[in-house]
Amino acid sequence: MDKLRDKVRKLLAEDQVAGYIGYIVKEGHPLPHFFTKDRLEEVDRAIVAPGDARYPLDKLLQQVAAADPDAVFAIQVRGCDERGLNELYKWGQLDPEKVVLVGIACPQDQADYCECPGPWATVIDYGEKCQPVSRSQRVDRIDTLAEDDAFKEWTAHFQRCVKCYGCRDICPMCFCKECSLEHAELMSTGTVPPDTIFQLVRAIHMAGRCIDCGLCEENCPADIPLRVLYKKGNMLVKELFGYDTGSPEAGPSPWKFLGEESTLATKPM
Amino acid sequence: MPEKEFEPKIIGFFCNWCTYAGADLAGVSRLQYPPNIRVIRVMCSGTVSPHHVLRAFQKGADGVLIGGCHIGDCHYLRGNFMTIKRMRFLQDLLKFTGYEEGRLHLEWISAAEGPKLAETVRNFTDKIIKMGPSPLKRAALAA
Repeated sequence: MDKLRDKVRKLLAEDQVAGYIGYIVKEGHPLPHFFTKDRLEEVDRAIVAPGDARYPLDKLLQQVAAADPDAVFAIQVRGCDERGLNELYKWGQLDPEKVVLVGIACPQDQADYCECPGPWATVIDYGEKCQPVSRSQRVDRIDTLAEDDAFKEWTAHFQRCVKCYGCRDICPMCFCKECSLEHAELMSTGTVPPDTIFQLVRAIHMAGRCIDCGLCEENCPADIPLRVLYKKGNMLVKELFGYDTGSPEAGPSPWKFLGEESTLATKPM
Repeated sequence: MPEKEFEPKIIGFFCNWCTYAGADLAGVSRLQYPPNIRVIRVMCSGTVSPHHVLRAFQKGADGVLIGGCHIGDCHYLRGNFMTIKRMRFLQDLLKFTGYEEGRLHLEWISAAEGPKLAETVRNFTDKIIKMGPSPLKRAALAA
């Protein structure tokens, strides 16, 4: 932790950044906190949040950066948060020149829990690299189900939805001002549970965008395994378009351009 | 009393320049195809969002047929490049969530392919009849 604190202290003291978005313990709870040069002593209490107390720091950074577009900010990132930043750069929501990374490598149990293929940031200021998980067993299990069983399982999950929009509101990648989930022409209004397609519409939006932080699933009061759905979406995007979500080398999202040629074939009837 | 034969509801999204013109040709050529399909004309198949397809299923469609120009023939040059990206993705995602494969079908049909249009609609309707009502409808009936 000392290495991380020293780095943050240096960044703030030397005015390299206008602020650092990280975590602090308040009233016994690890909570996101905005550190500044004026309150430098707080950096002594800066922490790396435990895996079960994560917050969408990327989302907070978007708000902070929007309020002060010229300033540079530092932010604590895990592997997923950094993938999120890469996507947000691509979608024009953040400027990579204005972001300084304070990187975390997740412990093995966190990576196993998340089934995370990249559980560390490119800069590591805390933690050791662990073994990534390349295949999601949760997705594989659904893939082996017969269509009827898969449908029953998913509808049972979707029927528990209370339409709190928590999955969307916590998602660091959900930055749209207008949301299809609230579009009265596309989604029935005034009913709970919502339309069965509610989660599917979100899944479509998350394909090639979800950075698999898992906050949606942790936030869901109905315990809908949203992460499995979004993981599959990303797997399909990789399979069909070769797009590796969150990778800086992957180029623009396949949904953003038409392409010079089309090599996909239609499925036979 | 014998149970009434299942009459599927099929929504067709046909592009204005190719498939819809193909449907016109099928019409003036007096080619027969089942009336289960309700055609919605769109300016380009690339304007059909996955939302529209999902909304159709939600509203009780048993099948959705998308018709567009052949690759390379798009009136807007490359609009259908997006169609195939979206629909291939949606087909696989729907399969993952338990919709039978093939309830969503994409076919390139040009303005000159009236017979192909009639045949496609016939085959698709037959296939959906064999599949039965959409799983969403079945779930609603069972509830």
